[in-house]
Amino acid sequence: MTKKQIFINSLYHENAVWRQILGICSALAVTNQLMNSLVMGLGVVFTLAFSCFTISLLRNYIPARIRMMVQVLIIASYVIIVDLFLKAFLPDISKALGPYVGLIITNCIIMGRAEAFAMKNTPLNSAIDGIGAGLGYAFVLLIIAFFRELFGFGTFFGFQILGQWWTKWSIMVMAPSAFFMLALLMWFVYNVQLKNKKD
Amino acid sequence: MKQTKKYLSERKFYPVFFMVILTVIFVGVLAVFYHLTQARVQTYKAHQFQKMVLLTLDLPVDQIEQNYNTYITEESQSGFDYYFAKRNDEIIGYCFKIEGSGLWGMINALIALNQDFSELIGFRIIDQNETPGLGARITEEWFQKQFQDKKIRHDGELIKFTMVPEDDIPENNQVQQVTGATSSTRAVVDMLNKNLVKIIQEFKPE
Repeated sequence: MTKKQIFINSLYHENAVWRQILGICSALAVTNQLMNSLVMGLGVVFTLAFSCFTISLLRNYIPARIRMMVQVLIIASYVIIVDLFLKAFLPDISKALGPYVGLIITNCIIMGRAEAFAMKNTPLNSAIDGIGAGLGYAFVLLIIAFFRELFGFGTFFGFQILGQWWTKWSIMVMAPSAFFMLALLMWFVYNVQLKNKKD
Repeated sequence: MKQTKKYLSERKFYPVFFMVILTVIFVGVLAVFYHLTQARVQTYKAHQFQKMVLLTLDLPVDQIEQNYNTYITEESQSGFDYYFAKRNDEIIGYCFKIEGSGLWGMINALIALNQDFSELIGFRIIDQNETPGLGARITEEWFQKQFQDKKIRHDGELIKFTMVPEDDIPENNQVQQVTGATSSTRAVVDMLNKNLVKIIQEFKPE
């Protein structure tokens, strides 16, 4: 596979959320506002890229029996860096995301990519794969957040779009709407991907 | 028979050795990063808190640090930490840190009372974990303003806060609740009533 194929594959064809149904707990939790989703997405892209790179770099030295421990250690370190960075430079967003940044550690996408790709491929390809998977995750978050924020608050990235006449749908702000939105998105993507395959 | 020399990675202790070295490296990097960012985090937190104290006491926040140092002194009386505000010998009021349990977690807030504890000057929520868009609306300006400049004592008796639905017109110490977030509103009202009782018992104003 070329680098471009690796990227497109992990971003779209094998998208972590709609194809592998990984990392959806955080995808559901932070998507009631676009800004939170964007920062969360970037945090995951950063963690994925660097942890896949590091794990791939060490892949020939990591003892097979303790490889998961090593992966968690590496992933956790990068997540803590993201958390500290947000606390120091973007405190308001750090407050809004609350514990979810720390929970990137348990995001199955990262461990999944580390096991499935980084342990077998070169560091550069692993980093590209990580960025692709991260962007794929961020992309899903942003689509869901766009609709949830629009219907729930009538805003786009905090800017009021829908006027006073708009009755805010409280359900869109709460967790259940994330399930509906995710299901609708998967249904849509499956149909598009299936149709492409038939053609 | 002569034993062939083993590679390091084939030895029994290798996984332990590997893990220890890796942990030391990563923890070291994190410690350095933590150290670099900590000063910034602390400054921001202190700054934010000072701003909240000033806002609660209805003091100007154009120059936070300077105003805070001019007007506020931090004092303590039998376990109660409070912030005492004075402007040219005139007592403005007392600001207390209070807490209560909300729907999902603790709510931390500040309340400011005037010189004789008869009026509530201001109320500000510092931290809360209520549902975004519903309970979290207790941090909106209109909600917090409802407690401002309210008489809280009559003939030495505490006048408690009560709730009315968002569409009703509130009287005296009635508070309009946040629609769809009755529990969060009740949590705030209860927190205020409970803490006011405690504060008044402790400080026994005339």
